Amino acid sequence: MTRTVGDATYVGTRTLRVEDLRLLTGTGTYVDDVIRPGMLHACFVRSPMARARILGIDVSEASQLDGVHAVFVAQDLNPGVREQWYTLNGPDDPDTPRPPLAEGEVRFVGDPVAMVVADDRYIAEDAAELVVVDYDPLPPVVDYATALDSTESVHADRPGNLVGQLGGRPMADLEPVFENAPHVVSQTVYQQSHGPVPMETRGIVAEWAAAGGEMTIWAATQSPHEVRSFCARLLGIAEHRVRVVMRDTGGGFGQKVLPQREDMCVMLAATKLPAALKWIEDRQEHLLAAGQARHEHGEARMAFDDDGRILAATLDHVQDAGAYPTPSPVQSGVAVGMLFPGPYRIPEGTFSSRFVFSNTSGRVAYRGPWQYESMARETLLDTAARQLCLDPVELRRRNMLSRDELPTANFNGMPYDHISPRETFEQALKMLDYEAFRREQARAREQGRYLGVGTCTYVEPTAGATPFHATEGATIRIEPSGKVNVYVAGGSCGNSLETTVVQLTADALGAAIEDVSTVQGDTAVTPYGAGTGGSRSGPMTAGAIARTAGELRERILAIAAHKLEVPAEEVEFIRGRATSKRSGGAGLTLAEIADIAYYQVHALPPGVPAGLEASGRYHTPHLMIWANATHVCTCEVDVVTGEVTLLRYIVSEDCGPMINPSVVEGQIFGGTVQGIGGALYEHLAYDEDGNPVSTTFMDYLLPTATEVPVIEVGHVETPSPGPGGYKGVGEGGAIGSAPAVVNAVADALAPFGVRISRLPLTPSSIVGLLEEARARQAVTR
Amino acid sequence: MKPAPFTYHAPAGGDEAVGLLAELGEEAKAIAGGQSLVPMLALRLAAFGHLVDLRRLDELRGIERRGDGTVWIGAGTTQATVQRSDEVRAAVPLLARATPLIGHFQIRSRGTVGGSLAHADSAAEYPAVALTLDAELEALSPRGRRTIPAERFLTGMWSTALAEDELLTGVNFPVWKGRCGFAVEEFARRSGDFAIAGATVALRVDGDGRLDRCAIGLFGLGATAIRARGTEAALIGSDPAEADAEEIVRSATEGLDSVPSDLHGSAPYRTRVGAAMVTRAWRRAVQEALHG
Amino acid sequence: MTDVDTVDIHVRVNGTSRRASVPPRLTLADFLRVNCGLTGTHLGCEHGVCGACTVLLDGEAVRACLVFAVQAHDAEVTTVEGLAGPDGELSTVQAAFREHHGLQCGFCTPGFVVSVTAFLAENPKPTDEEIREALTGNLCRCTGYQGIVNAVRAAADTAGTTVTEGPA
Repeated sequence: MTRTVGDATYVGTRTLRVEDLRLLTGTGTYVDDVIRPGMLHACFVRSPMARARILGIDVSEASQLDGVHAVFVAQDLNPGVREQWYTLNGPDDPDTPRPPLAEGEVRFVGDPVAMVVADDRYIAEDAAELVVVDYDPLPPVVDYATALDSTESVHADRPGNLVGQLGGRPMADLEPVFENAPHVVSQTVYQQSHGPVPMETRGIVAEWAAAGGEMTIWAATQSPHEVRSFCARLLGIAEHRVRVVMRDTGGGFGQKVLPQREDMCVMLAATKLPAALKWIEDRQEHLLAAGQARHEHGEARMAFDDDGRILAATLDHVQDAGAYPTPSPVQSGVAVGMLFPGPYRIPEGTFSSRFVFSNTSGRVAYRGPWQYESMARETLLDTAARQLCLDPVELRRRNMLSRDELPTANFNGMPYDHISPRETFEQALKMLDYEAFRREQARAREQGRYLGVGTCTYVEPTAGATPFHATEGATIRIEPSGKVNVYVAGGSCGNSLETTVVQLTADALGAAIEDVSTVQGDTAVTPYGAGTGGSRSGPMTAGAIARTAGELRERILAIAAHKLEVPAEEVEFIRGRATSKRSGGAGLTLAEIADIAYYQVHALPPGVPAGLEASGRYHTPHLMIWANATHVCTCEVDVVTGEVTLLRYIVSEDCGPMINPSVVEGQIFGGTVQGIGGALYEHLAYDEDGNPVSTTFMDYLLPTATEVPVIEVGHVETPSPGPGGYKGVGEGGAIGSAPAVVNAVADALAPFGVRISRLPLTPSSIVGLLEEARARQAVTR
Repeated sequence: MKPAPFTYHAPAGGDEAVGLLAELGEEAKAIAGGQSLVPMLALRLAAFGHLVDLRRLDELRGIERRGDGTVWIGAGTTQATVQRSDEVRAAVPLLARATPLIGHFQIRSRGTVGGSLAHADSAAEYPAVALTLDAELEALSPRGRRTIPAERFLTGMWSTALAEDELLTGVNFPVWKGRCGFAVEEFARRSGDFAIAGATVALRVDGDGRLDRCAIGLFGLGATAIRARGTEAALIGSDPAEADAEEIVRSATEGLDSVPSDLHGSAPYRTRVGAAMVTRAWRRAVQEALHG
Repeated sequence: MTDVDTVDIHVRVNGTSRRASVPPRLTLADFLRVNCGLTGTHLGCEHGVCGACTVLLDGEAVRACLVFAVQAHDAEVTTVEGLAGPDGELSTVQAAFREHHGLQCGFCTPGFVVSVTAFLAENPKPTDEEIREALTGNLCRCTGYQGIVNAVRAAADTAGTTVTEGPA
């Protein structure tokens, strides 16, 4: 029924993107490009304090400003909330608080306190400055790492600031192994708060039609259907009364998977206004309040035998949830511990994870949200190699899983299969010529130059089958002219989903690619779907398209066979043309077949329905589809200024067969550079009073073209058991890169005895590490 | 992120411009390229009731070799124009070399020589260059014109000797003749970012290969760009090839007492980087003076 | 909206004369997006760092968020919408971005395309280092700059080929 990869005409090729023509000419439609009649504009009044009681809010002066329509405070909007939960977590999962506007107390700098609605954003900002809020400051809980011991509570009903905790078997179980092991290595790495920071900030336009009780929303989102479900629940209206439209979204990386508090405010306020309401977050708001990620630490431990074989591993992990996480971090955060064993043979081990409130911006999802498992494990392995006087590559070779050991499961019971960690590891090292680099490094050290190499190998669950994510639908309509439209839920934020869907559909049908177009991102016309996230779009849409196109292809073949008067098995249908060897060159185009299906219904073979349209839904039988990769990075560290220059960057990955190599590589490149940013540049920093100090792009440093090396990609191909053998590839780049960079810097500075425990590795922090190491050695001497 | 409202003025000449500045007082701010001012307005870190736009003041633009051995550059001349200028490259190499370090090329399209000097950020390149080369700044006010040496022009972080109603109209950069070497070195987190610290060196050797002119500037290391005058004086008459670079650096960076400190670097870190930049700039300038 | 007077301006945008009466604080970016309906110029930071709003002002690449519309009076502005041919044919730079996967979400793309257009006009035969340096005024979060750098190299080489055609 479905065609195999071997039949592919378009899949596997570097098909140019269909999105590009509009995006290159400035004719895309992002949420800020949406204009509605009489549209009004919102601006939030945000807390300047990390924690304070709200004693009063005076909106009188702001309300009187010309051009201001309304100023809403918590009492105006919050009571409108009917139900508030995310489909991913379900209504019964213990959730964290999420009031639309701050009520009674502000809990981080940037907490929305009031919303001004005006004719334009300029006036809205003028009015926001006129809202007077009387704050009574309270002592903030700024540092999540000490929050569990604080007598102050971010949320009064959560004394001790613990959001939740999860773990494996008791740590005490492992103590005998650690006590008896010849070698035990442990370390704690504190990773700094940073985040997705898409180039397009958050934004939403909500238009309420009171008479019909209908809401139309244009949103920057990765999941239009989730925005719809969420809005329907929030307002207590039927799901089909809400329509959510997104055409182009300017990057998501996890930040845009779920609606947040400001989106709730806009939805609630729109029902009280005579026209559409637009809120476009500005960059400062984004860096204050769109959320943070990756802010965590953990004590990682491994026990080794005398041959450097790992006997056991544990991770005691703590993660910052901020004041208002989206969603509660517990369910997704447990992946850090579950994946901590990575691609290594580790007989036993365990983890514990705690999630902690603080008076800072809330935790959000960020591309490979469990990335800390790799950071903790891979940096520990390098430290262990130094302590055991083994080359880090040799240490890994002794412990890393290879294909012939599969299937297997890690010590947390995660079942691994269809992966190739050892193969990617060796491929990447070969691409580098590891031994040659070590020689070059030795020569450089003699000249007082400090080069380093770092690796990171990880395994990654993609296309996970949570109830929310386990199915995906596709509708294919072949129009009477033979032109094809394929409808999928969408949510593409640069994932090239339009292009890959068109490739998959053209191949699955046998149509010519220029005849295939796709419609995505409009809940009114597309099948329900969870959107982009969790590296799911490749396998899941491939499954949905295969199912739907397979049914249509059978009808196409039946119609052609009937018309050509040959058996259906003898019909070839390639590039939109049906032929048969027996029909002597006569053939039918897809247009002619469609014409029969729509206008010559009497000429259809028996049992074939009229029209050429089908819908199908794929339900994955796989709990997850594993992908894996190795990142290898070399760098030079200037020990005077502390500057790190990346020299070579190599990724060897296994995402199964590639639908479009350019798209795969683009995902890897982008993720990798986000990880480089996380290791070296990006920091959503707070001072000790809880004031954020990186709220502009002058201080929150995204890597630019000169900070990024050429990234070389190697592919290993192990087909997955899923549709087409595909695997997800969206997140991996952002998982493997930061640990590889940190290891490379640590390797470069190894002659100084530097120990890395805090990120990011800024030039000044590297100088600090060098000075610390020098002081330590002076004491030892 | 939208600026607060203001009234806009686009005077046709310098006298009209300074007349407006005088009349409107502290409510008014002159805007040239706006590359530093507009972000502050957009972030509402600053607000002015009136902006006096200098865009129509053609007399503020141009690059001219003057008979007195200087190159005059109009305050309204963009950094992009300076970067393209063969005259500047030949006659004021230090200025030419510092220019590409300012922001990004899209910033230099609008940013002006006078704007950068009048904004007087201590980490900016142009104030350090003006100070190093002993440039003279021309100012116009309703009281007439005056000339201010760079040394007296820079009075503090974001503050200058300009009166509220005074406008920077041009800068005279002395042309150094003879066997000279010029270098600017800075360290920034990313290309185009403000420097964490930087150094400028200008020097000249006489026929015997001895230094007869020497200027060392530091930026990002105090409230304003700074000259290491003590170090310079000690070097005059010496053979730069024999000079102890470490000693020069030590003396140039000792006693710095208002080094800024922020997310990107503590004061000691900035001082360390500044020292490294002095070393690099010194070596390059000496190399150029001695070997071309 | 306020008691501040509006100012009459005349700007030629992509070859079309536009007259408008605007509040002085209106940025050129908002003028292009709202008053002219040219939404290809994107706002990514509004403080002059990200480069998404880059347009050509009298032929030079500038941040449209750091210019007030009143300052563009009597000027010539070219936005990303003005770069393709009249029949929609992509410019050399645009075509190279497509060919080399130089964009993903597309939000930063107009700023890159406009910046690169200006850069190559001034420096038609850049070194790889000059290309990377020139790109630092634009931030991209999707591509890791790999496809963008390759696209600029290719655009320079393509344009270079055209220029050097004929007797050497």
